[in-house]
Amino acid sequence: MTAQTTLQQAMPHQAPPHQAPPHQAMIDEWYPVGLVSQLDRSGRHTALMGEPIVVSGDDAGNPLVTGGNGRILPVKVRYGHVWSSLGTPTKDIFSIPEADQPGRRFVDVGVVRVRCSPLRAVENFLDIAHFPFVHTDVLGAEPHTEVQNYTAEIRADVDEVWATQVKFYQPQASKSASGGITTEYMYRVPAPTCSVLYKTCPPRPSEWDVITLFVQPLAEDLCDVWPWMALFDDETSMTDLIHFQQMIFLQDRSILENQIPRLLPLDPGMEIPTRADLTSIAYRRWLKRHDYTYGAQLVAR
Amino acid sequence: MRSDTTGFWTPVALSADLPAGTVIPARMAAGTIALWRSQTGHIAASADRCPHRGMSLSHGFVRGEVLSCIYHGWSYGRAGNCLRIPAHPGLTPPDAIRVVTHDVRDTGGIVWVASGIPAGDPPDLDGFTPLRSLTADADRAALALAAGAQADEDGRLVTNIAGQDLCLLLADQPEGRTLIHVLVRSGSDAAARIAASRSVERLRRMAESASHKGGVQ
Ligand code: FES
Ligand SMILES: [Fe+2]
Repeated sequence: MTAQTTLQQAMPHQAPPHQAPPHQAMIDEWYPVGLVSQLDRSGRHTALMGEPIVVSGDDAGNPLVTGGNGRILPVKVRYGHVWSSLGTPTKDIFSIPEADQPGRRFVDVGVVRVRCSPLRAVENFLDIAHFPFVHTDVLGAEPHTEVQNYTAEIRADVDEVWATQVKFYQPQASKSASGGITTEYMYRVPAPTCSVLYKTCPPRPSEWDVITLFVQPLAEDLCDVWPWMALFDDETSMTDLIHFQQMIFLQDRSILENQIPRLLPLDPGMEIPTRADLTSIAYRRWLKRHDYTYGAQLVAR
Repeated sequence: MRSDTTGFWTPVALSADLPAGTVIPARMAAGTIALWRSQTGHIAASADRCPHRGMSLSHGFVRGEVLSCIYHGWSYGRAGNCLRIPAHPGLTPPDAIRVVTHDVRDTGGIVWVASGIPAGDPPDLDGFTPLRSLTADADRAALALAAGAQADEDGRLVTNIAGQDLCLLLADQPEGRTLIHVLVRSGSDAAARIAASRSVERLRRMAESASHKGGVQ
């Protein structure tokens, strides 16, 4: 999928500078800005947190990311994507050990532009209760709507949000699944706009399939979403794998573009969570703790 | 225009445009609401925001006598109380979980939604039958000028175009637009109904070009 919207159209709601909250914590993070496989000399004209950037590759395939005034931005290549930052990252990009495991297929799903907060896009990815209603007959189906108890926590040692023992009944859990199964999941949030999902792998019960959501914040209420997968699946064609994941995400987009407010409310009171939302509660708490508030709404603002 | 302290009725849709078992977004001056009709025909109007995770309720679905949110399926009764949370089938939702609702009336073929607490009933449309609705990119004043008649307190404008009586119900919309419900004399034949429809299209164009020429944005 290619981005249709121009950047002028894309960023209508930027706060004037005097209102801009300090987003230093998020400015110093790494973000996905393009696919390595699509690097070219003419470059991808895009944006990062309101600043126009250009992502290009030289003849040798080395990526180059330049900011609004032509300054060279930090760059890294990881998980099929080019990553950059407007600030000075103090940490490396989070690690996904499974990405180095032999036998996995890596799937660059491409980009989906969504008119929503980057944080809302991640929160939706962490949610299973919507499966029967949004991904009907694929990832969920009535009457199997119950969300059983699971564990969600902020892990102090790694400073990441983790949800484990998440189980859900799925009519067709993946492209390679035939018939309904109860799928088990683990969710992980290692960076404010990135999430890694570990999911039952039908062909190899001892392993987990890895599906990630890398979100590029274009503005506080606009993002490019880059799903990426590392799967044990030798059967399904690459095209089918990509289409399956794109279909799922387009269904999510129809939700994300119609949530009010568009920014993620971090203070309690605006929205009502239940036990099924423990991951979302931990994610919001973790964002607030780290001042990861680009794309968030605070009462104080 | 009325003062903000009194309640009033807004004609939001033709009754015929809201079949049983459906939900639609309806625009009021203050924003969008979710307007729905249950399977047995009861109309209800609620805020267009689900209190769970903010999803627009007008994107939801109606089953039986309840409106459900499309995101996680939370369902609401006509009084706005949450009746079911599918993720927790055994749980009776606490009474505090509810959506704001508006008083609503289905009379004379028009669905009226209350803002505040109106002093009386929606206006009588005696002798007129709804024909269609359309939106003009012009405000009430521009439409009055084009029609050569003023709307009354309830937004009801009665005029005569080319020998034909027309009743227009005007509802203010965001961004200076106006929703127009067109009513013709009850018992009008097909030719008269087509003529009425064309007259109002013309009226809309006049009002739109007048307000754009005036440079009032
Ligand atoms: S947002 Fe409406 S049910 Fe979750
Ligand atoms: Fe989803």
